[in-house]
Amino acid sequence: MLSRHFNCKVLSKCFNHTAWSVALLMLNQALATDYKLEILPILQEHCLDCHGPDKQKSNLRVDQRVSLLRGGDGGLPSIIPGKPNESHLMALIQSGDADERMPPKGKPLSSDAITLIESWIQQGAPWPGQMEAIENDTPDLWSFQPFERPDPPATGNQAIDAFLNVKLRDAGLSPNDSADARSLIRRASIVLTGLPPKAEQVRGFLQASRLDFQKAYTQMIDAMLASPHFGERWAQHWLDVIRWAESNGSEANLYRKNAWVFRDYVIRAFNEDLPYDQFVREQIAGDAMGAGDAMGFLVAGPHVPAATVGREPSAVRQARADRIDEIMQTIGASIMGVTMNCARCHNHKFDPISLRDYYAMSGIFQDIEFGSRFPELSQDHPRRKRGEALMGTIMAQRASLAESGAWEEDWGAFREVHFPTVRTTSVRIRFNTPKVTLDEVEFFGPEDPKKNLADRRHGTKVAGFPAEGSEGRNPITRLIDGSFGTMTWRAHFSKESEDRPWIQLTFDQVQTLTRFRLSNNREYFYDTDFLLQQPHLPKYDYQLEILEPRGQWQTWVTAKGAGRKQDPQHPERASGLQTIEKLIHKLAQEGPQPSFVGRLIPPSTTRVLYRGSPENPRDEVSPAGPQMLKGNLDLSSTSSGPERRQRFASWITHPSHPLTARVMVNRIWHHVFGAGLATTTSDFGRAGSPPTHPDLLDWLASEFVSPTTPDTKPWSMKHMIRTIMLSKAFQRSSLPSEKGMTVDSGASLLWRYPPRRAEAEVIRDSILQASGKLDLKVGGRSFRIHNIKKTYAQWEVVNNHGPQTWRRMLYQERMRRVDDRMFTAFDFPDCGQVRGQRPVSTTPLQALNLMNSSFTVNQARWIANRARSETEDESVESVVNRCFELLLARKPTGGESNVAQQVARQQGFEVLCRGLINANEFAFIP
Amino acid sequence: MSIETISPWGRRLLHRRSFLRHTAGSLGALGLSQLLQKDLLLGANHDQATIHPDIKPDHPYAPRPPHFAVPAKRLLIIFCPGAVSHVDTFDHKPMLTKLHGQKPPGLPAITFEGPSGNIAKPFWEFKPRGQSGKMTSELLPNLGALADDFCFFHALHTDTSAHPQGENFFNTGMTMEGFPSLGAWVSYALGSENEELPAFVAINDPRGLARSGKNNFGNGYLPAAYQGTDFNAKQPPANLRRPDAYSSRDDRATRMLLAHLNKRHLETYPEDANLAARIASYELAGRMQTSVPKVMEIAKEPVHIHRAYGTDTGSDLKRAYARNCILARRLLEKGVRIVQLFNGSDPSGGNGITNWDSHANILKTHATQAEIMDQPSAALISDLKQRGLLEDTLVAWCTEFGRMPFLQGNGTGRDHNPGSFTCFLAGAGVKRGFSFGQSDAYGFKAAVDRTSVYDFNATLLHLMGLDHLRLNYYHNGLERRLTSVHGHVVRDVLT
Repeated sequence: MLSRHFNCKVLSKCFNHTAWSVALLMLNQALATDYKLEILPILQEHCLDCHGPDKQKSNLRVDQRVSLLRGGDGGLPSIIPGKPNESHLMALIQSGDADERMPPKGKPLSSDAITLIESWIQQGAPWPGQMEAIENDTPDLWSFQPFERPDPPATGNQAIDAFLNVKLRDAGLSPNDSADARSLIRRASIVLTGLPPKAEQVRGFLQASRLDFQKAYTQMIDAMLASPHFGERWAQHWLDVIRWAESNGSEANLYRKNAWVFRDYVIRAFNEDLPYDQFVREQIAGDAMGAGDAMGFLVAGPHVPAATVGREPSAVRQARADRIDEIMQTIGASIMGVTMNCARCHNHKFDPISLRDYYAMSGIFQDIEFGSRFPELSQDHPRRKRGEALMGTIMAQRASLAESGAWEEDWGAFREVHFPTVRTTSVRIRFNTPKVTLDEVEFFGPEDPKKNLADRRHGTKVAGFPAEGSEGRNPITRLIDGSFGTMTWRAHFSKESEDRPWIQLTFDQVQTLTRFRLSNNREYFYDTDFLLQQPHLPKYDYQLEILEPRGQWQTWVTAKGAGRKQDPQHPERASGLQTIEKLIHKLAQEGPQPSFVGRLIPPSTTRVLYRGSPENPRDEVSPAGPQMLKGNLDLSSTSSGPERRQRFASWITHPSHPLTARVMVNRIWHHVFGAGLATTTSDFGRAGSPPTHPDLLDWLASEFVSPTTPDTKPWSMKHMIRTIMLSKAFQRSSLPSEKGMTVDSGASLLWRYPPRRAEAEVIRDSILQASGKLDLKVGGRSFRIHNIKKTYAQWEVVNNHGPQTWRRMLYQERMRRVDDRMFTAFDFPDCGQVRGQRPVSTTPLQALNLMNSSFTVNQARWIANRARSETEDESVESVVNRCFELLLARKPTGGESNVAQQVARQQGFEVLCRGLINANEFAFIP
Repeated sequence: MSIETISPWGRRLLHRRSFLRHTAGSLGALGLSQLLQKDLLLGANHDQATIHPDIKPDHPYAPRPPHFAVPAKRLLIIFCPGAVSHVDTFDHKPMLTKLHGQKPPGLPAITFEGPSGNIAKPFWEFKPRGQSGKMTSELLPNLGALADDFCFFHALHTDTSAHPQGENFFNTGMTMEGFPSLGAWVSYALGSENEELPAFVAINDPRGLARSGKNNFGNGYLPAAYQGTDFNAKQPPANLRRPDAYSSRDDRATRMLLAHLNKRHLETYPEDANLAARIASYELAGRMQTSVPKVMEIAKEPVHIHRAYGTDTGSDLKRAYARNCILARRLLEKGVRIVQLFNGSDPSGGNGITNWDSHANILKTHATQAEIMDQPSAALISDLKQRGLLEDTLVAWCTEFGRMPFLQGNGTGRDHNPGSFTCFLAGAGVKRGFSFGQSDAYGFKAAVDRTSVYDFNATLLHLMGLDHLRLNYYHNGLERRLTSVHGHVVRDVLT
């Protein structure tokens, strides 16, 4: 055997490539390895115990060719016929790493055996009897199967109940009667708007429902669906799932400037009943749909900024892979109900998602980077129109200024110097200032106002002094690398020193130039806010020189020249500069604003990363959805970023996609009933729980994508919510019954409506509503509860309870992992990980916060004051009644009234209100 | 329902009483014991069955038995954020003195903050200590004097060279945020011996939170009940005190009213465990209002204790940290399950030097930290020993990674070293005067008996009587555990 191998090697030296191939082919035929005689014995001796018919460690069987072609859980094919060098099996049996080498115990394979396997793979891994075998590629996972509309046991609005009743009957359970009207309006109001009904609303509903219950109930539901607070309530759920927050997380936990525009987009989408398919498409590919703000979705997860990642190249690569993984988690958990991230390092342990699928899907999002941009807005968006008008005026002013020579504009994030048009191949900036820190230098010409001619991707070269920065670790190449932020070029000389920094750019051809930009940390300016030290570019003293065709340098602009306000020959200059300054300021306020909804970058080629490590790149993969979901999108590594995302968005929102509709109707069901039909709302895989009522789930999904109700648009979330809430199941009493509690205490069969504690937001907003302090303005910048901090300090919650914080809690600045010392204790998410459902836990900290916080003290006092002022006779009994109405929307019972009046008389109404705020009933959805 | 269709989610429910009541009827003939037996078999996927603690909703902190009997009843973690230089404290490397000022072959040109410099000998002298003769440096003489009681891990290595990720990784087993801390896992598994105090207390540095903030002691996806409650000797838990606006009579009246309203409400929903749990939580909160101020009465400790911990000598920060150390002992004495004591904050916490991070002027920065940490920490461990508490308390002294054997850019500090660092254990169940593992000749990489952070955490759980493979919680598609899919218990250090 050895001699055959040796001969091959010798032969290879004697032939050129083609001849070698031909020779090899001949050799192979002559010396074809016999699988049965030569290969099988090796496998039997060394591999079969763990990877055979009895045991399949890592889901691999070496006695089946298809299994080797697919590979084990590690996600790489064990053999690639004809390519031993790329076959993972070869790497494993030859590995020098004892932890990796196969077989794991005992001696490594002999070199003879290795050679045999190598030439067998080289020959195409011939395997008598198994050459035709192909893998079964239809998944047996329920949620990956297409759904059809099952025939309900009854029709119309009754369909939901009909499905549920069958199961109840099977379990021998009889459903509860309808809930009392008071419980019903409280339940519906919290589910739909997140606010409890006011006493007056309850009275109105009680009266109307006595006349015609069905009509009154339907009208109530429709009114709540039409309320602007519906969108706020349901936006909260969506933000939870994708762990959206207004800070990065990690060490500095920087604020994400204007990220809130995404929160407002979600509120608007729910309020306007944006069809769910469009909602999804805009969040993935809104840049092409005039809804760039929707793409805040993709960068909802946490990320570690460059300064905290450090400078080790492998750490930088790892951090980028981590950011992409956050995007994968968002998409997988929220839209697909697939835990995609489980396939990041190896094939998914439970679900038909391979390592390859993970990286193919990650290819879709390669043009997304965490950061800010000006969101694409529709043409009729008021900000866009205002921005265009202002920019037009600025351009006109510039034209008039051009007569008076160079001038400088301060755009906050950068300074821009406009100068007389010049053609040259090279420019030089010589600083007279000894200390200079810059993240980027940009040059522009008249042709394309957005094309930065200095960018290295256009072939520009940079040189200068000091080339590696004064500390030897800030290379000058960073000036033209297209990335803004803390990765800067720093030149720091003392005043006394004669050294001064300079930069030289050489273009790959003659360029026409009209302006240049300098900035020192544009990332912080655009991306973040509320730091004690705001990035600001000092006024550097410089001169710009251009290279003349004869090879001489000529000074073209000086800082002094560009900075002068007056020009005797051009008296219009002073006012022109002033006008531009004002216009720039106006534009920043009224025009489109840079918002943390992601930056778009040129997509890179995607490769499978063995064991999830960016240090182990393997096969290139085309951007695609998972194979088992028929996710081929006809894309390649050359496809543009938007094209990738658009195709993916269309694929995932196709009405026949088995997951998208199912996952969303189940999510809606979860938010209506407190638990989904499948309780693991973000995991429809084998590790999740299967639906209790699969037919009902499919019926709902079908009704969602192709509604049978007249005048209903497909994918209408409001229609779906309405349909569910008009069911008898939703209207059932939540009271326990002995039989029900014995057979189905969790009420998963819905013999009763499952009662539960309300979330942090509901409790807080209910208190503010009771005191009359709640400001119901919809949308806009979040209200601040945190300090202004040093870059690497923790956010501190400032005790600033007051009118500016009395908006709904949805608008409270949502910083990752910060404890507000009040409502965070009520399972408010820390936004670190995706969370399909909030846990409901009970802790003594909740009790302490709700009993003793200054928020409670003040609100209890205001509620008491309000109750007094709204009572005509001011008798203790009347005020007590009003306190109950304000907080519980009902009057006290006889026994309660006695105790409450006693408390009020002895300790005051504030103490009474404090007690009511802490009562179980107040925090409870009945 | 066949057993194969029970998902991990369902299996989790099996361990909950409510589900047992529920399944008792619907599963009909299939006996419960049979189910549970099969449940164990099901877990045989990874050779072990998952264990979920049996948690009563109205008593989330009730004591629960460990997986197997161990001496340790409670856990003290002293965490030193910023990365303590192992080569300047406990990991003696004579080679550094020998090659001082030289550039050794094979070390990287670029580390976390940029280019690396020449080898630097330890900034403090090493001396043999105790009977074991363990070489430790003069930077931490008080801890060094206790070396005979310690079990050092010299071949630790971690997955990241950035502080926040390093803190996350050490404390939660994940570099990313949002995962449960070790303390949360332990309180979830074991509850507490003292139901009048939180099961898990995080005592933050007087200067503030460490860089990963709350994530270091957070509950992640576990129920909020298992998060660390953070307070220190200066600052009681938020909202513990009755506000000035209310008198004690107001408080009693509030509670009386509450009891009346809740009783009536509970009559309507007699079976609801969540309502009962909420009533219980108010009772516990009331008891905490008495017990926490009591445990915080540090001034009442005798003079010799104050002197030993050093509450009235040295810098203000050291005095404050010393009081935190006394608080730690008082909490442990009362049966609090986990106390995590921090010695360092984020870099903006005040005073210029805020943690062990020493990229420049290590001589000053490490000395400043050592002055704060050494005497009080050593006194705390000695105090536990004198009271016999070290018999059933496990102590872990930790930091997120080490520092480089060479200078950073030939400056005056050392850069981050994720490849090798030192932590030590002491007390219940662990060998005394023992060192496990070795770094290479420079202290650059862990070399012999390499120990990952997963291994270290697996060992901590093991010493607390918990099997790190089986202590699970279902979240987002997986039965998750502290050690992810990794971790081996280091059996060599067990007594």
